[in-house]
Amino acid sequence: MAAGYGWAQSAAIRAGNYLFVSGVVAIDSESGERLNGTVTSEAHVVFRNLKLVLESAGTSLERLVHVRAMIYDRIEYDALNRVYRQYLPEGPPARTVWSVQIIDAFKVQLDAIAVI
Amino acid sequence: MPVAREIITPKNDKLNVSRNLRLPHSPGIRAGDLIFLSGMLSVDPLTGERSQGTVAHETRQTLSNMRHLLESAGSSLERVVKINVLLYDMLEFDNMNAVFREFFPAAPPARTTCGVQLSAGMKIEIECIALAG
Repeated sequence: MAAGYGWAQSAAIRAGNYLFVSGVVAIDSESGERLNGTVTSEAHVVFRNLKLVLESAGTSLERLVHVRAMIYDRIEYDALNRVYRQYLPEGPPARTVWSVQIIDAFKVQLDAIAVI
Repeated sequence: MPVAREIITPKNDKLNVSRNLRLPHSPGIRAGDLIFLSGMLSVDPLTGERSQGTVAHETRQTLSNMRHLLESAGSSLERVVKINVLLYDMLEFDNMNAVFREFFPAAPPARTTCGVQLSAGMKIEIECIALAG
């Protein structure tokens, strides 16, 4: 997904029963193009990408245990939550929302831990 | 055999902030040997309202609530392995740290502290990973 960007990171690492996923941003999973947009549009892409990474490793969104949701500005907290609920409607993982500067002017980044 | 994934909740319902405010996260998840807690704020255990004050006050209330949540799940502060502290201003580090030491007098967990934007005028938020049981 971000393989062509030269970022010194793996998409995810499996260790025992856990999967540690690198921060996922809104990159087109086919073309690798950056899809910068609104918090809402980026969050949809991010969740689709996160789902791809999790399923490639034999787990799923339902098996997430912790998410560090990063947004570029705290004022977008509710915008993030609206998308978040669509992908994690039942028994959502533990979460902390951090308002930080994200690489390449992205507005959303999700870093996650799942169980296999 | 997949590892069990179980939601954990505080025994005191007033401290179940994500449910009370209908936020899309759980208080914590137990998975395998670990418990993952969501970021916690200073909340009054009697009323469920946010309890704003000095960094010292908010740190004490937040860690006290964290202890309650971990103990509700059969764990404890002594079983915390990693803790992240989010502060509204790093100038307040020492005010947080002094109270933190009261809760973790010996062999404290690994910790990272960052200065970040927080919600609703709160001064501190704390999340952790602990050993279950």
